[in-house]
Amino acid sequence: MSSVSFWSSLKEEARRNYIAIFEQEWPTWLAGIFLALVALLIFLWKGPWGVAAAYRNVGDWIFYAGGVGEERPFSPLLHPIVLTSAGLLIGAFVSALMSRQFKLHKAPPLEYAKSAVGGAFMGAGAVLAAGCNVGGFYTAAAMLDFGGVAMMAGLIVGAWIGLRYLLWEMEHVPQRGVEQHPPGEKWLGVQPYIGGTVLVLVIAAFYLYAVFDDAELGGLLFFGFLIGLIMHRSRFCFVRAFRCPFMTGDAEMVKVVAMSLMIYGMGVAVIKWAWIQEPSMGVNHNFWIGSLLGGVIFGIGMLIAGGCASSTLWRIGEGQTKMVVTFIAFALTNSLLARALKSVDLYDKMGQGVFIPDTLTWYVTVPTFIVFFVFWAFVAIWNEKSEKLVIF
Amino acid sequence: MDLHDIKAFSVLDARGLTCPMPLLKTKKELKGVPAGEILEIWGTDPGSKNDIPHFGDKGGNTFLGFYDDDEGYTRYYIRKG
Repeated sequence: MSSVSFWSSLKEEARRNYIAIFEQEWPTWLAGIFLALVALLIFLWKGPWGVAAAYRNVGDWIFYAGGVGEERPFSPLLHPIVLTSAGLLIGAFVSALMSRQFKLHKAPPLEYAKSAVGGAFMGAGAVLAAGCNVGGFYTAAAMLDFGGVAMMAGLIVGAWIGLRYLLWEMEHVPQRGVEQHPPGEKWLGVQPYIGGTVLVLVIAAFYLYAVFDDAELGGLLFFGFLIGLIMHRSRFCFVRAFRCPFMTGDAEMVKVVAMSLMIYGMGVAVIKWAWIQEPSMGVNHNFWIGSLLGGVIFGIGMLIAGGCASSTLWRIGEGQTKMVVTFIAFALTNSLLARALKSVDLYDKMGQGVFIPDTLTWYVTVPTFIVFFVFWAFVAIWNEKSEKLVIF
Repeated sequence: MDLHDIKAFSVLDARGLTCPMPLLKTKKELKGVPAGEILEIWGTDPGSKNDIPHFGDKGGNTFLGFYDDDEGYTRYYIRKG
């Protein structure tokens, strides 16, 4: 029998858990499960999870501040998707600090230019598809909107085109690495304390919203925080699911995203079929022209920028300075193109949401959904072995 | 094998580049390395710590390891198969 005190046992356990959560990287399959579960919680709590509307809101505010547009944009502090997305960024920031990985990363000049161009492409694509890789693809597919599947097809084509461009660039545009400053010991030591403080502030913000009778908004900030933590700890990147089959043949992220979508989609099916939430909720994507075309443009952009709507946010959270450029370009282009299309009545011609069970019935939709994403995963696994789709 | 003693056939400087460029450049550079020789990659993208070891063991190549240099970047080593 050992003479270990309760407090020393608690301290040892806390240390072990801290290492497991913040020092060891999480497996992506686990992150895929967590992501689907948090997305389902968001759906039950308020509505479908999205990201692009947060970029739009920021873009609208920049233009408004610059004197463009007379209508005052929606307050970001009361905007559900802005709060979820802000939570995502803060969650990644806290995760980076707690794991002593926060650092301002400099990039070569060309990478900043590509960030701007890629961000602009993504901003435009997200307008056409009425959502980004999250709202227009991941959530739209889970909401059983045909638009999600159409955008997925567009993202695959766009990723192929974007990769072709990167290969051309690599052959024709020489680029040298840039030196980085190593983080000081003092900075490394203080990071977890700053991260812990921000974590406490996020929890306090939830209670503050609750005090003002808006616990729903505070909850969205916290759910977003969890997503940021999950994504950063696992380096969860939707882009890899579309890029890697063409680049290295790696099927891992396709399997993870397909599995995550099966959990998310089937959870949504239960919620909608049982009328816990309105079945038409989240079925508002521009099927098929807007979703497909938007997917292609967004796919090109995410390859050029090196991040999608969600990974841009968590990468900013870990200190990637080039992703700030992507964020601003995305926000401005998204806001501008949405105004332009609406002013010439083109937006409504991009298509409309089509609820899959309305077309195929619930009985056919559920097995078809599963078979479709299992098939996607099996094609990727076959390609990993055969490299038939690898273009480089 | 002590990674610090490795004499690489060629060195790829991918410092400051982010996903997917370090991996893409690694794949391209590796094509010019003769079988049995070693490619050294310098990188700063945290994602490369997953991507390069995973890729480095594919296609008959061997990933030898990586370490964080005092200058603020990571050195990776792949032996061409």
